[in-house]
Amino acid sequence: MLEVKNIKYSYNSKYQALKGVSLKVERGEMVSLLGKNGAGKSTLFLHLNGIYEPEEGKVFIDGEELKYDKKSLLKFRQKVGIVFQNPDDQIFAPTVEEDVAFGPLNLGLSMEEVQDRVEEALARVGMSGFEKTAPHHLSGGQKKRVAIAGILAMKPEVMVLDEPTAGLDPQGVVDLSKLLKELNEEGITIIISTHEVDLVPDYASKVFVLVDGLLIGEGTPKEIFSQPDILEKANLKVPIVTELFQQLEEEGFDMEGDYPLTIDEAKDKFLKLLNKG
Amino acid sequence: MKFDMDYIAHNNALTETNPFFKLFLTIILLIVTLVLDNLYFDVFIFVVMSIVILAIAKINYKSYLKFLSLPMAFLVITCIFLIFFFGKGEVIYETGIFGIVVTTDSWHYGVYTFMRVMGCLPCLGFLALTTPIAKILHCLGRLKVPKIMIEIGLLMYNTIFIFLNEIDTMQKAQNSRLGYHSYVSSFKSLGALASTIFLRALDKSETLQHSLDSRGYDGELPVYEPRKGK
Repeated sequence: MLEVKNIKYSYNSKYQALKGVSLKVERGEMVSLLGKNGAGKSTLFLHLNGIYEPEEGKVFIDGEELKYDKKSLLKFRQKVGIVFQNPDDQIFAPTVEEDVAFGPLNLGLSMEEVQDRVEEALARVGMSGFEKTAPHHLSGGQKKRVAIAGILAMKPEVMVLDEPTAGLDPQGVVDLSKLLKELNEEGITIIISTHEVDLVPDYASKVFVLVDGLLIGEGTPKEIFSQPDILEKANLKVPIVTELFQQLEEEGFDMEGDYPLTIDEAKDKFLKLLNKG
Repeated sequence: MKFDMDYIAHNNALTETNPFFKLFLTIILLIVTLVLDNLYFDVFIFVVMSIVILAIAKINYKSYLKFLSLPMAFLVITCIFLIFFFGKGEVIYETGIFGIVVTTDSWHYGVYTFMRVMGCLPCLGFLALTTPIAKILHCLGRLKVPKIMIEIGLLMYNTIFIFLNEIDTMQKAQNSRLGYHSYVSSFKSLGALASTIFLRALDKSETLQHSLDSRGYDGELPVYEPRKGK
């Protein structure tokens, strides 16, 4: 569905942010991009809908190569929507509804269609009733939802979110992951960059690890979180449940090389261990 | 209490009143006040519009006083200059310093300017305090004001709040480290603040451009018409 081949990008002659990144995301997947600050996650994301043009390498969407003329860019930007990390960077209109309408209007849809989409998108993210509100009167979590609605209203096939949980309170994080999971079930391919490793195994079917502009790991959460060398290079940790079971193993419990990643897996494992003893 | 004009504009008894009506009323009153140039009428307009703002729009009197106080400082300074340093004609008061005098002419200018501004302020206040900027911009758009001006206004309006927040945060950070403890450090801190905010502005504008482009921006902001009756 979305494929990136050997992308290189430099901000200046001294600093190469991406040193040849290749990755492939299939339709309907929900994947996570992990990596420390400054690893090039945001830079990579801005390549996915043609904001940045790579020095080398290519981007493919549905097998079609991304071109950088005005018409194809509009087409690809409709297909691949980016939700920026800071909603203030994205929400610019004086009212919520106008901001959500911005994307669909740029697509040249009829006013009626746009109105439908605005209504639908706001309802989808649970922000109906805030149509006339000024964005700067909203809370951080609400702004995030509006930002997502603004992308949803364009009916994208792929939604890319740059650290969507940054700055949200715990309940906000839970609500947001739930929303994203639902959107994924409705058929939108989702790519998320994050530091919150605890949530990753919960939603991601595949994980990419980016370090200093290079992809050093790719696989299921289980595969990635069982490779300490990769985690160390990326300044990452295993989810807190996994850590617990790793410590239990040091105490003499046999894990058979299988560490739980989520609370549900941990519960099953626990019961199994208890029943054995 | 913090003075937040935008919040007031969104939350008063007249927010939902037809913005065209408010815009035209304001413009007509301004023109009438300026054309008549009558001291009594100035006072009359000041009183009437203040009553409208306080009693009908139900705006808190403290907020209204704050709104008046900001331009008032400029007004007082301007009028002092007018009275003492301008005009010819018969001298009515000698200060005895550097031959600075008040003449009939300058006194007339000073007083009339002051009253004229006093009359016009609540008229503008009526519009500014009861109408969200978004609505004013929409009206201007319908009245065929060039699109580019409206777009600049719209983007400026939005970014102003982001900047006020940034400045507020930075100032608190500086204050926490005694950045405004003495005159010297105040100047230094303010300088640092100004240059940092400039750099951030560049940064922010680039990110905003990226996010607009991501949603298919082609250099022109489309106008959304919400469904009627909602």
